[in-house]
Amino acid sequence: MALPQSLRTSVTPLELELIASEHLVEIVPLITMEKTAFISVRIEGAYGPLRPPAKCRVPLWMATNLKLKKKCHIVPPEWLSVDFLQERLTRETSRPEFSKLPFRFAEIAKVILDVASDDVQNADKIKSLLKDLREARQAKSRDGLQKLDHSELSLPNLCSMEINEIRPFFIQAMGILTQLVREPSAE
Amino acid sequence: MDIDDDDFFTNLDRPGRAANNNTFQERLRQAPRDDDGAEIPDAPPFMLEEEEETPLQQLIRHWMNERHSPDILLNEGELLAGLLDHIRSQSETVQLLRTDPTSSEEEHFRIMLVQTEVERVKFIVRSYLRTRLFKIEKFARYIMTNPEVQQRLSESEVEHARRFARLTDQHFYHSVLQSLPETQQTLDDQPPFVPSMVTEPDKARAVFVLARQDCPPVRLPDGTALDMRKGHISLTPYSVVEQLIARGEVELV
Repeated sequence: MALPQSLRTSVTPLELELIASEHLVEIVPLITMEKTAFISVRIEGAYGPLRPPAKCRVPLWMATNLKLKKKCHIVPPEWLSVDFLQERLTRETSRPEFSKLPFRFAEIAKVILDVASDDVQNADKIKSLLKDLREARQAKSRDGLQKLDHSELSLPNLCSMEINEIRPFFIQAMGILTQLVREPSAE
Repeated sequence: MDIDDDDFFTNLDRPGRAANNNTFQERLRQAPRDDDGAEIPDAPPFMLEEEEETPLQQLIRHWMNERHSPDILLNEGELLAGLLDHIRSQSETVQLLRTDPTSSEEEHFRIMLVQTEVERVKFIVRSYLRTRLFKIEKFARYIMTNPEVQQRLSESEVEHARRFARLTDQHFYHSVLQSLPETQQTLDDQPPFVPSMVTEPDKARAVFVLARQDCPPVRLPDGTALDMRKGHISLTPYSVVEQLIARGEVELV
């Protein structure tokens, strides 16, 4: 068939990673490269030029590629730091609502920590903070299930990966609630 | 300020050397500014959503909309054609540079990056088209009986739906239906109490929507209104946000 069974109801985490890899990050290049035209460009049709040691903004996939060949250092985004995540974790555990995080933080953090953990300060601490954050938020989204009805559920500040995680179950649950409501009026 | 003051005094004291000094300072100032040019980030990555969408980002959005929506959406032919042209020209450039034996190692590296990107874009284009193809085949009969839906498809997509519907009809007829009584041979019965024989999109299926801007209020199944501000995320039946998706005011995530 045109679309494999596994892809019909949801997208895969790898596809989300692919989308997140279009986000721009800052790198410190270790090689020189002229301006180069790319399809995904914003400004005047090109990325670069790379001129060490000046910083440059390129998409995450390119940064990953360069980093794996040891041709750049990735500058982690501001939010990928112990201070920021610690503050968010405190807020996450002390307040009922989801705290605000970049929409694709999970994917971006994973890619950067996978390929460039040596460019991130306190990478291990950040990993454990991300894990704690994830658990705290997961518990909240499970609680959100109580409020589910057949018409609408607001999920402010929920992030892409988290949505994907709860998608199959929430959609099915809502489908069943819709059926329950629909039955009597049809008779 | 200091430099400016220095300038001022030098000019007063030694008018003859002023020109020299100026050019030197000019050069000094020029150097960091040059670096700055490359360094100034347009916006912190946190706020990326604020920037205007590139064609590729538009395609990614439509791709995800298509993947998540139960119904088949409007064909993005123009956008797709533009990107395909872009892919073609990038590939041609790569081919040209590759055959050039004088290209340096740096050039090879650039070629590799450009090719990587071309493959990424191709993947997205393919996945987008496959998703549509899947829906066209699934809803082939529904599409052929519904001119309004055909409007959303490209010509070749409608043609494919027509051929696919005819093929399956013939197959069912030859393998089973021809040996049944005539009253039971049709494929589009709408008998009471059982689902229709024509597969239709389930518009009541819930979707996760993200508001790309402030949206006009929409009516929910329970009768209340939903007023979505920019950045709002909601889980709601597809039928509620159908119009907002078509107008690009929300996206499915």
